[in-house]
Amino acid sequence: MIMSTNLKKILSPFVDIKGGLMPALHAVQDHLGFISKDNISELAIVFNYSQAEIIDVITFYDDFRLEPIGKNIIKLCQAEACQSQNCKQLLSDVTSHFNLNLDETSSDLNITLKEVFCLGNCALGPSVMINDEVIGEATTKKIIGHLKKHKIQNNE
Amino acid sequence: MNKAIKIFIPNETSANSVGAQYIYEVISKLINKNNIEIIRNSSWGAFWLEPYIEIEKEGIRRGVSYRDIDLSDLTTIEDFFIDFNKREPFDIQSIDFIKKQKRLVFSRIGHHDPLDIECYKNTKGYKPLLNSLKIGPQETINTIKESGLTGRGGAAFPTGIKMQTVFDQDSSIKYLACNADEGDGGTFSDRLVMESDPFSLIEGMTIAAYAVGASIGYIYLRSEYPLAKTFLLQAIEIAVENNFLGKNILNSGFDFNIDLRIGAGSYVCGEETAMMESIEGRRGLVRSKPPLPAISGLFKKPTLINNVVTLATIPMLLDSDEDEFSKIGSNKSVGTMPFQLSGNIKHSGLIETRFDISLEELVRDFGSGTKSGNPIHAIQIGGPLGIYLSSSMLNTSLTIEALQELKGSIGHGGIIVFDNTVDMAEQAKFAMEFCVKESCGKCTPCRIGSVRGVEIINRLQKNKANADDANLLNDLCETMEATSLCAMGGMTPNPIRSIIEFFPNELIQK
Repeated sequence: MIMSTNLKKILSPFVDIKGGLMPALHAVQDHLGFISKDNISELAIVFNYSQAEIIDVITFYDDFRLEPIGKNIIKLCQAEACQSQNCKQLLSDVTSHFNLNLDETSSDLNITLKEVFCLGNCALGPSVMINDEVIGEATTKKIIGHLKKHKIQNNE
Repeated sequence: MNKAIKIFIPNETSANSVGAQYIYEVISKLINKNNIEIIRNSSWGAFWLEPYIEIEKEGIRRGVSYRDIDLSDLTTIEDFFIDFNKREPFDIQSIDFIKKQKRLVFSRIGHHDPLDIECYKNTKGYKPLLNSLKIGPQETINTIKESGLTGRGGAAFPTGIKMQTVFDQDSSIKYLACNADEGDGGTFSDRLVMESDPFSLIEGMTIAAYAVGASIGYIYLRSEYPLAKTFLLQAIEIAVENNFLGKNILNSGFDFNIDLRIGAGSYVCGEETAMMESIEGRRGLVRSKPPLPAISGLFKKPTLINNVVTLATIPMLLDSDEDEFSKIGSNKSVGTMPFQLSGNIKHSGLIETRFDISLEELVRDFGSGTKSGNPIHAIQIGGPLGIYLSSSMLNTSLTIEALQELKGSIGHGGIIVFDNTVDMAEQAKFAMEFCVKESCGKCTPCRIGSVRGVEIINRLQKNKANADDANLLNDLCETMEATSLCAMGGMTPNPIRSIIEFFPNELIQK
């Protein structure tokens, strides 16, 4: 199999390090958005795993995905500290506002909703993470404001 | 160069989550004079005040909480100063929340830019490493043994003994692994070390690695902490530039490098053997012990595994002038503990104090009661595997021993407060649901038992008086405790049992 030059470049820092598969999976996903079937066969060759073993690893971890999802990921914390701050209500408000269930992606592939267990912002819950930014004492209004500010979503 | 006016705007996840980054963006655009400097310090850990902005002028430093304040009307920096002074600035170090703490491990947070290595050195940084290099590995381990430090990740194992075990192994390759997979709900002390004083972790790792003979240290950081990642990567780079990491550290002949590895959203990877599997590039399946990681750990080599706060505590123990830490507390509960007060609480944040503080002092004196104003109903201690205490148990002292007596654990020091709107049967069910989601799947009682647990609690929610289901739940808890390899399955029953015992009739009607 001929590996795409692009993927070769992405994987090269991790090929010779111990336990390089995890950082390699992160890198592939950061660059390409998800880990495709072609990527899996290429990863298997580079790291000397079987394809099944690569899939085995990918599917164990919540962060890795085999299909594309939204460009922007909204993660709503549902752990205990946020529970005490009504995160379940927020979850239901947000899912109805975006008309999306958890793990669903908007039809324009812009937004995916996910749940997460603890963002380490427990003192200021309920917490939500939009891409890499955490929003404390989150409300639907704050989330919408953040999406506008970052030009993720302009329409209501 | 010292500028006449310094504006401190924290750069830390919680502070940013309520506007610190926004305020930084506004203020930095207003600055047009070169006698004003913005310093991105870390949070003081009094998160209820964030974003807490300070101004230092003529040696006097005062601050104001800018929570939910719109600054878009400001057009000049003078406007900001006027606004700031109108809000009655105060010295955060003089408020009880900070003053009543015993900050040793977190002594530096808030004061300065966490990436300013000169500030770190000026506050005793790297003196402990020099001391350790002088007295040698065995003497370093002895010092840590004598300090009484136990692991702050949850298991509370004596740190010095673990180090001795790794030291005693005859192996040319040894590893250090820092467990920064702080996944327990209600905890953020590791994150705060990494974002607010990263050099203390790096120095602690360097001392520990030198003591046990490791030349590579991994930090396994959870992916939910992107800002901690940024800080660690920069801090590692600065440490390398200053020869605090790399080859021949401070001309000692000792080589040590740190490799940052990022997790991928798995709670169980905070369990040390699952963490090693993940670092090695596999599913995070728990390994059976023995062999202990200290004997055969990462890549089958002797490995010292400690959590972030434990490693960040090590430097202060090697500071030859001071031995404040080990004079505090007794038995297993020696030194200070960074409690993380969160949930439905007015004054939330990091409270580093002696262990034997009572829950009452913590939630009333520091926390000032619930945020909602409703009465406290339950307090969970030590994360998802920790027990719930009722409001009649506020006199409980928070030592490792006292929590063990209640069949719980101090865990990672997370304290989550719930008011009287909480449904304890739901909390019990969540313990099982969380186990369903996060079980690695290796042990049947954990993988399948948790699913059955959710079903039983669902039934109990409809009929609390069903004695058959109550007995079944008890049997299930017993089986999970006795036959799971790690704490995930073994301790998931803890919160449930505490709800049955301390909250009569809320889950099971007797």
